[in-house]
Amino acid sequence: MAQKSGRLVVLWGHLALLAVIAAVIIAYWIDTRAASTRTVNLLLVQPASIFGLVLVLCIVPQCFRHVEHPEATSKETLGDLGKVFALMAAFIAFALSMETVGFDVATFAFMVVGLFLCGERNWLLNLGFSAAFTAALIWGYGAIIPFPFPLTLL
Amino acid sequence: MIDFENVQGAVSLLTSSAQAWIWLVPGLIIGLFFGSMPGISITMAMAIFLPMTLYMDFLPAIIFLTAIYTAAGFGGSVPAVLMNIPGTTSAVATTFDGYPMARSGRHNEALGTALAASVFGTLVSYLLLMFLIAPVSRVVLRLGPLEMFFVAVWGMLLIGSLAGRSMLRGLLAGTFGVLLGTVGFSSAGHIRGTMGVPWLFDGVPVIPAMMGLLAASQLIGLINTRYLIEDEASRKISFRKIVGGMRDAFRQRFIVVRGAIIGVLVGAIPGVGSSISNLLSYAETKRNAPDGDTFGTGNPKGVIAAESANSSSEGGAMATMLALGIPGGGATAILLAAFAMNNIVGGPSFIANQMDIVYAIIFANFAQALLLLIVGLGFVYIAGYVVRVPLRFLIPSVLVVATFGSYAIEGSAAGPITLVVFSVLGWAMMRYQYPVAATVVGLLLGRLLENELARVFQIGRQSIEGIFNYALTRPGALAILGLMLLSILVSAIAKERRRRRGIKLLDEQV
Repeated sequence: MAQKSGRLVVLWGHLALLAVIAAVIIAYWIDTRAASTRTVNLLLVQPASIFGLVLVLCIVPQCFRHVEHPEATSKETLGDLGKVFALMAAFIAFALSMETVGFDVATFAFMVVGLFLCGERNWLLNLGFSAAFTAALIWGYGAIIPFPFPLTLL
Repeated sequence: MIDFENVQGAVSLLTSSAQAWIWLVPGLIIGLFFGSMPGISITMAMAIFLPMTLYMDFLPAIIFLTAIYTAAGFGGSVPAVLMNIPGTTSAVATTFDGYPMARSGRHNEALGTALAASVFGTLVSYLLLMFLIAPVSRVVLRLGPLEMFFVAVWGMLLIGSLAGRSMLRGLLAGTFGVLLGTVGFSSAGHIRGTMGVPWLFDGVPVIPAMMGLLAASQLIGLINTRYLIEDEASRKISFRKIVGGMRDAFRQRFIVVRGAIIGVLVGAIPGVGSSISNLLSYAETKRNAPDGDTFGTGNPKGVIAAESANSSSEGGAMATMLALGIPGGGATAILLAAFAMNNIVGGPSFIANQMDIVYAIIFANFAQALLLLIVGLGFVYIAGYVVRVPLRFLIPSVLVVATFGSYAIEGSAAGPITLVVFSVLGWAMMRYQYPVAATVVGLLLGRLLENELARVFQIGRQSIEGIFNYALTRPGALAILGLMLLSILVSAIAKERRRRRGIKLLDEQV
C-alpha cells in the first residue's frame, strides 16, 4: 500500500458541521420514537435517520487530508473568517431583537454594522445610506404588509 | 397533442385581467438586475422576492417569479461577457467566447448574440413544453402512491448525487432536508421534533428556510469576495452592433435548436439544470463545428450554444415540476413554494384539473421571452453600471429585505428566526461543498414522501409482505424502480465524464 506523504490536516469546521447534522438527526430520531413506536410513525423517519447517520460516518474520513504544503492550500485568513462570523452574529442579533427594540432601530443598527463589516469606511456615507434605506424599507413594507410591526422611532 | 379547450381557457385567463401582465416587466427587470450582479444567483433573486407574491393572485405570482427566472438567465451573461465573471453558474460557458469577444471590442455583438440565443432558447423550450404537457399529464395521472414515492425518491437521489461535487455530501444534504421536512404533526397525528416550539407544529416554515439556504447564506459567504473590475469603463454601447449580434444568433438556428434540446432534456433531470447544460451544449457545438479550433478565442457560436442551452433548461425544469410536483433545483423549488402559498399542490392532480393555468403559464412565458428581447436590449445600456454595484452595499441591504420578507410571510419572529438558523446552516454547508438545493428539495418533499409511503403501507395492509404483494401488482412502479437504479448508475458515470470534460474545457480557456 502506498504511504501517504505530507502533513495530516483536520478540517475542524467540516467535522463540526457533521457533528451538528448527526446530533440533529439523532435527536429527531429519538423524539420520533418517543412520540410513538408505531410503524406508520417510523416508516420514513427511522430508515432516513439510519441512512443519514451512515452517510455522516462515510463522510467523516473526508475531514482528514494529507497535504504537502498546508499553508498554501487556503487563501482565507482568520480575519476573513472573523468577518463572516461577525456578520452572522450581527444578523442573529438583528433577527432576535427586531420585535423588542423595534424594526426601525434594529434595521438601522444592522445596516451600519453590516456596511462597516463589508468594508464601507466612510462613516458619513454609511450612516446616511443606512438611515435612508431603513426609512424607505419601513415605509415600503408598511404599505404592503397588512399587519403592523413594532417600531420605536418612525 | 394540444388540449384546445384548456388553451382557450388559458387565453381567457390571460386576457380577462391586467393583473397577470402587470408584474411581467418588473419581474424581467429584477431578474436582469440581480442576474447580472456577480455572486447573485437566479435562486437568490427568486427567494428574495418570493414573499412579495404573498399579496398577489396565483397566476400573477407565478408569472412574476418565472419572469425573474427567465431574465436572470440572460442577466448572468452580462458580467460573463463584460468581466469574464459568470453572473450565475449557468453562464460559465458564456465566458469562454463572450469575454474574448469583448476583449477584441465586440462586446456589443456578444451581448446581442447572448440575448437573441436566450430568447430563442426559451421560446423553443416552452414550445416543446406546450406540445408535450398534455400527453405527459395523461401518463402521470396513472401514477399511484408507490410510483409517486419512487419518483420522488428518484428525484431526490438525482439531486443528491448530481448537484455538487461529492455524491455522499449531496445525498446527506437531501436526506437531512427530507428529515427536516417531516418535523411537526405527521399525517398519523404524531408530533415530532418540535422541541416544544408551537410554530414548529405545522412544520419548519419552508419559505424562510429556503430564503436562508438559497439567498442569505450565499450573501454571508460573499463578504470576502472581491471582483477584479478592469478596463470596461470605456466600453460604448452600439444599438446597431447589438442588432448585428442578434442577427448572428438567428443565422445559427441549428446551434440554437440543438442547444435548446440539450437544455430541455438536461433541465428536466432533477439536480442537473442549466449549470450543466450550458457546458454540454458548448462542448457538443465545439466538437461538431468546422471552426471548432477557434472556440475560446471569441467565436460567437460558443456564446449561442451556451446561452440557448441555459435558457431552455427552464422549460425542462418546469415540465418536471408541473407534471410531477418534483422540483429539479432551487428555482423550481421556489416556484413550488409559491404554489403552496396559494394552497395549490403541484403535480399530477394540478395538471389534470388546472391545465388551463398550465397553458397560461406557458403562454405567459412566450410573452416573457419576447419582452425580454426589448427589456434586455434597454438593459444592456445600463448593464455596465449594474455589474459594478458594490457588494458592500448589497449584502446588508438584501439581508434586511430577506428578513422583512420572512417576517411578512409568517407574521411573527418565527420567520426571521428560521431564516437566520438556515442561513448559518446553508453557509456552513456551502463552505464544505454540500448542495443546499438538495436540502431545500428534501424539505419540500419530506412530507410528500412520508404521506405516499403511509398510503402504500395502508394499501399493503400494514405489513412489509403486504407492501411487496402490492408492489408486484404495480409493474409501472417496478419499472420506475429499475429505471431509477439504472439512471443513477448512468448519471454517476456521466457526471464523472462531464467533470473531466469540464476541467478539460476550462483548461483550454486558460
